[in-house]
Amino acid sequence: MDRRRFLQHAAKWSLSLPLLLHWPFSFNSCGPFAEAAPATLPLATVGVSKGKDYPALVRQVISLIGGMKSFVKPGAKVVIKPNISFDRTPDLGATTHPLVVRTLAELALEAGASQVKIFDRTCNEARRSYNNSGVLPAIEAMDNSKVRCEYIDRRKFVTTPIPQGKSLKSWDIYQDALEADCYINVPVAKQHGLAGLTLGIKNNMGILGGNRGQLHRQLNQNLADLASLIRPTLTVIDATRILLRNGPSGGRLKDVKVSDTVLASTDPVAADAFATMLFDLAPHQIGSTVAAADMGLGTMDLNRIRRIERI
Amino acid sequence: MKITTPPTLWRRLSQLLFFITFMVLFIHTDYQGQDQLSGAVNLIFRIDPLVTLAATLATRTFIALLIPAFFLLLASLLLGRWFCGWVCPMGTLLDGCRPLFGQRKASLPAALPKMRYVLLLIILVGACFGLPLVGFFDPFAILVRGLTMALYPAFGLAMENLFTFTYQQGPAWLNMVSEPIYHFLRDTVLPFDQKVFTLALPAIAMLLAVFLLEFVQRRFFCRNICPLGALLGLAARCAPWRVANRQPECHACGQCSNLCRSGAIDQRSQVNSERCILCLDCLSRCPNQHFAFGRLKSQPLPVAEGLSRRAFVGTSLAGIATPFLFAVRPFKRQPEPALIRPPGALAEDQFLGRCVRCGECMQVCIGNALHPALTEAGFEGLFTPRLIPRIGYCEYQCTLCGQVCPTGAIRRLPVPEKQTTVIGIAHFDRNRCLPFAKGVPCIVCEEHCPVSPKAIRFREVATHNEQGQTVLVKQPYMVDDLCIGCGICENKCPLPGRSAIVVTSAGESRHQKLLPSDGYG
Repeated sequence: MDRRRFLQHAAKWSLSLPLLLHWPFSFNSCGPFAEAAPATLPLATVGVSKGKDYPALVRQVISLIGGMKSFVKPGAKVVIKPNISFDRTPDLGATTHPLVVRTLAELALEAGASQVKIFDRTCNEARRSYNNSGVLPAIEAMDNSKVRCEYIDRRKFVTTPIPQGKSLKSWDIYQDALEADCYINVPVAKQHGLAGLTLGIKNNMGILGGNRGQLHRQLNQNLADLASLIRPTLTVIDATRILLRNGPSGGRLKDVKVSDTVLASTDPVAADAFATMLFDLAPHQIGSTVAAADMGLGTMDLNRIRRIERI
Repeated sequence: MKITTPPTLWRRLSQLLFFITFMVLFIHTDYQGQDQLSGAVNLIFRIDPLVTLAATLATRTFIALLIPAFFLLLASLLLGRWFCGWVCPMGTLLDGCRPLFGQRKASLPAALPKMRYVLLLIILVGACFGLPLVGFFDPFAILVRGLTMALYPAFGLAMENLFTFTYQQGPAWLNMVSEPIYHFLRDTVLPFDQKVFTLALPAIAMLLAVFLLEFVQRRFFCRNICPLGALLGLAARCAPWRVANRQPECHACGQCSNLCRSGAIDQRSQVNSERCILCLDCLSRCPNQHFAFGRLKSQPLPVAEGLSRRAFVGTSLAGIATPFLFAVRPFKRQPEPALIRPPGALAEDQFLGRCVRCGECMQVCIGNALHPALTEAGFEGLFTPRLIPRIGYCEYQCTLCGQVCPTGAIRRLPVPEKQTTVIGIAHFDRNRCLPFAKGVPCIVCEEHCPVSPKAIRFREVATHNEQGQTVLVKQPYMVDDLCIGCGICENKCPLPGRSAIVVTSAGESRHQKLLPSDGYG
């Protein structure tokens, strides 16, 4: 998060909420304070769309939450971060659907983005993952020099302090992600042994360098700490297919449920909380969602998430 | 006066062309965006009659992959050792580096050229009786190995370091220039990933030795060592087209015999066709233009540099006896657990007999998982491929190693068969594994396990952590029947140093399967 956005956020939160609720506000008192607030007041908005036409779904869901123009200013540098970590085809539900990624890139261009970059630090071999996920071919087919699906360049990892981090104080983070004017996080919703589910907050791991396995010792808090630094402008969760078992790598069609859903929010915690319900789980069952909400990074209280649906 | 192109120009062009082809194929020996490779440097081994002969003798099977070698043999039966002078990339490199070594006249024992026939004999007899040696002397094996394991990765590293420096320290105007160059290089000649190899230094030392011998004599390796050259030289005896001195009674000024890079012209200025590599220098440089290429009469020659019957029998006997000495070592009965062969590798004896130790499987391996073995497969298994999961794992959907193996030592497997081929089985070291040893959550291994359903699963267990508190952690366990030994778990285990989950070759499936008839199996 850059300084300008930090100041903007700080100003917005610290001015609007106390005014609204007549209470002095700080980040740390967010937890107990939220309980005191009336349960009906929406703090976040999640757009949800269902249907078979995935590009149309994405367009719909973005327009539900205000349209891409409100997130991408003309000339902006946009980063789209899908989850293409595994060497799996789209039908196996382990990677973000190429049509979702591609449509977001198109929307960003239509809103006037000067540059759209798409990348992920993969678990399996990068070229195989980029190709077989269908994302690289889909982006190359756009044939637009402003949109680039790039492999990770090892030179671009920058050791970055995480000022709000409780357990994770600093880590190597990909420069392009840090410098983006608009960062769109596009995870695929799937089961994950340790984390329970991998959604938006977990998907941020794809811009980390170093030995990421070490983060698993306190995964939830580490992810929340990371989320305090990486604040996506937009979280778009691809739940067109969700992987129910054997995640996050998957590999069996039997484990995939076609749910034809895409949801989007500017609040990363709300997006994750909402996507959790697609798995018949409650938001508080996912540790990273709870940890991030505790740090005041967003709301996981379903009563306070305004959902706009079009099905 | 008519200006004619000197014949050596054609030879040089041909050398250049074939060398470029070789290098393009070499760089092309990599994942190309599809599961199937469109072309690879294995072609050069498939036209190699020495490799063909040795692998065929060793396995006593007809290897369809190696059919192209018969065409080279046939061509040599007609034209002699033209391959050595016009095509061989090793020869081209040696010729190209000539200016580095300078001219010097060393007096060497006259019997030295016999060495290549001794080597040829011991390689072929050894192959027959179970001692695979061809990979240590075949020129392409030495060259491709040196390139794959040392030169190419080192070149990649040097470039990456250079452009990292310009990227991180250089001013913006420099990066405007250097970054496009770097991207261009990355798209064309640089390796995609920075690889490392266990035997980088021995591999380069062997290649370097061939070059250092140039100080002793021009084309020393080709004249005295190369068993492939020896084999082609035997074929050259029958060649009707040859270079010869048309003048039986030449003045013998001796220029030609000093000039000849392969030592094929004797003091009487007559050409030895077992040695001649058709470089055609003598054609253009003889002041009297006595030399010509065509259907010419040859001088009578002793076979194989006149290798004596005693040497022949002695060498053969050594070739027969040594394999039995090699066979009485314990790992011949119980395979070394750390020796994990790539998926599709034949049963060990057949594998060693076919493997040329060219390192192509290591060049193509996208995970940098395959490494040259030192002594894990015995001395004779030096440079054969071995999977070291801690350095790199075997990518679940990838079948590239079997596609590039020139002799079918690693079979070409369809993806579904590859995914059920067991190359080893992983097991946990609970003394190190975090959820067991420290009560700390981890299960990174379970996350990455690519088989579905997973071979690594977990159960939630109440245990004590280092502070003595009771905690609920997920502890992993193995389902042996599902594990194929790909090693991604060992590779991704986040512990520093040794992994808490280790793959050994015990349980590999290749020893239970029947041998296929050829490399396309």
